[in-house]
Amino acid sequence: MPIAMTRRHLMLSTAALAAGAPRLAWSQKAGTVTMGVITPTTGTFAYAGDLVVRGANLAIEMHGGKVAGHEIKLLTRDDEGKPASGVRRVQEAATSEGMRYFIGAYSSAVGLAESEVAQREKLLQFAAGGSEDFTGSRCGRYTFQWSAHPYTAVRSTLEYVRKAFPQKKTVYTLTADYVFGHALLKYTKIVAAELGFELVGNDNHPFGERQYTQYLTKVVAAKPDILLLNTAGADAVTAIRQFASFGASGIAVVGPWTLEVDQLPELAPEMRTGMILGQNYYPDIDTPANKAFVASYSKKFSALPGYSSAYGYDAFRTVLKAMEQAKSVEVADVVRTLEGMSWDGVLGRMSIDAKTHQLVRPYFVVRCKSAAEMKSPADFAEIVALGDKQQPADQNQCKGMAEL
Amino acid sequence: MLWLISAQLVNGIAIGMIYALMAFGLSIIKGLLNIPNFAHGALYALGAYLCYSAVSAGLPFPAGLFVAFAGAALAGLVLDRLVVRFVRAGGYLPQLITLFGAALVIEQLLLIGWGTIGLSYSPPELLRGSIDLGFTLVPRYIAFASLCSALVISGVWLLIERTRFGAWVRAGIERPEMTQSLGINVDLLLIAGMMLGAGLAGLAGGLALPLMGATSTMGGDMMAIAFVVLVIGGLGSLYGAIAAGLMVGVVQSLMTVAAPAASTAIIYLVMIVILLVRPQGLFGER
Repeated sequence: MPIAMTRRHLMLSTAALAAGAPRLAWSQKAGTVTMGVITPTTGTFAYAGDLVVRGANLAIEMHGGKVAGHEIKLLTRDDEGKPASGVRRVQEAATSEGMRYFIGAYSSAVGLAESEVAQREKLLQFAAGGSEDFTGSRCGRYTFQWSAHPYTAVRSTLEYVRKAFPQKKTVYTLTADYVFGHALLKYTKIVAAELGFELVGNDNHPFGERQYTQYLTKVVAAKPDILLLNTAGADAVTAIRQFASFGASGIAVVGPWTLEVDQLPELAPEMRTGMILGQNYYPDIDTPANKAFVASYSKKFSALPGYSSAYGYDAFRTVLKAMEQAKSVEVADVVRTLEGMSWDGVLGRMSIDAKTHQLVRPYFVVRCKSAAEMKSPADFAEIVALGDKQQPADQNQCKGMAEL
Repeated sequence: MLWLISAQLVNGIAIGMIYALMAFGLSIIKGLLNIPNFAHGALYALGAYLCYSAVSAGLPFPAGLFVAFAGAALAGLVLDRLVVRFVRAGGYLPQLITLFGAALVIEQLLLIGWGTIGLSYSPPELLRGSIDLGFTLVPRYIAFASLCSALVISGVWLLIERTRFGAWVRAGIERPEMTQSLGINVDLLLIAGMMLGAGLAGLAGGLALPLMGATSTMGGDMMAIAFVVLVIGGLGSLYGAIAAGLMVGVVQSLMTVAAPAASTAIIYLVMIVILLVRPQGLFGER
């Protein structure tokens, strides 16, 4: 039987709703904080997504599952390695689930697209990737960059090469033909001139190239001292495999941001022996925070962490630390705290450049070991140098940060 | 400049032979069964993984190549019995969809079987290092792989063109009912053709292992080039696959001298131009 709605009923209902609404809002605000991991679990970077989630979960677990009196709720979404999917997932998680913080993406292109949503919806994003645009031309108040700046990567790696191999002067570069490779090449030219290297040639290759012998034929003909790979991921792995087939042992292979530790198992030990590589993270980093991370991770997953897991872990650890310091889970409070924060992180002494939101952090240079030097199957390399030189301010294109 | 062009020419011919081997298997299946085998790339990846497992188990590299050929041929048999025979008489669309689906299934099985991390293998000691031609260095392994491809292509061509078995196969393609009425089992011939084509894809994967490694998605990368070679050469033409494979390798390599970033795009441009001038491909029939 339908119930007739009287004016009295309507007024009582309205009053009840009015009284309850602030309480509902308060309980959501005080009870939980929703944090997201928006990474690829399908597509080209599918291998990385779950590893980032592992690290993020571990950071929350080691923090006790609560921050500043709030329960932490973790959301995971698959960005498929595509900018459009990433934007949709971030928007949906923010609107439907109340997500205010997220780490993502693994790919620069996806992360930069998500950064637009972060500024619009006032969500705190901790990004990773090789594009300098995160902290340059497309910088934003709500976006922070965990990975090192390409300048830091190139500078740290070439500085070590200059010291370790003073007789090596000439450099041939192989560059991925998109923003990431172009940024590395731009800084290679600057740093090489400063350190006294001579660039004798460069070839740009398309993204996803699988045939490199035509470029490598030119490289061996030019007889440089160093082949510098301004390329990454599967492209770099394939190029190194094919370069190994030439047996040109007189040419040193150097990669400022070429292969992270996660990808080193893809090369046979004899292919990577002696390579000098820049690393955002390496499990041997000698800091108390990293030792605690590696111990917990190894116990839980029976494996050593790599770049992806370290990104998930350290980015969330940093945000949780900022919330505790701010005694708040409000995004604006956390952003302000991060901008002035300095702490002992997984990578060493860390801080945030308030003008660009670039994480000021060490960058690691490793030398890959031969099969005979490896003490275990995961003992790929040794850390031989640390670098932390930041991009010179006059080269940064960030036009300033917006008001919160 | 002349030495650089010569060097790229040598590199292009060497790489082109590997492309030709891949397209040759594709061309056999297209010619015999009249289907575009979209699962060919997945069979190529399977060959790389099988070769890797064989050499990791201690077998010599040539035995690893045989395992790659035989394993992919068996997979071709399974593919034929479970998928191809049901769509052989259908149009291109059902063939395309089912074979594309089969390729995805094979790729997922590779991930389950061998994991997500790519695998690498260095060739035997004898095949490491380069041959110095004076004006350029040619990696010994690339020389071996291209020579091996040329020998296999020649052997299969002789099998099809110069043996009684080959005559049955050709008769089965052109006059299946007449061939059947002569007491020859045409269905068995087509199965043999499918296995041969699939085996060649597996062998190409095994040969590519030291250069490309083994990854579940490597088939997709090679398929794009193999289909370009197939289309340029003429669908189902064996001569066409060889000529177009060499042409694509050489053009791609030479382009690196003038505009390295366009070295991949150029092969698609060449395909477009050839299709505009000669829609049936270089050796295809209307």
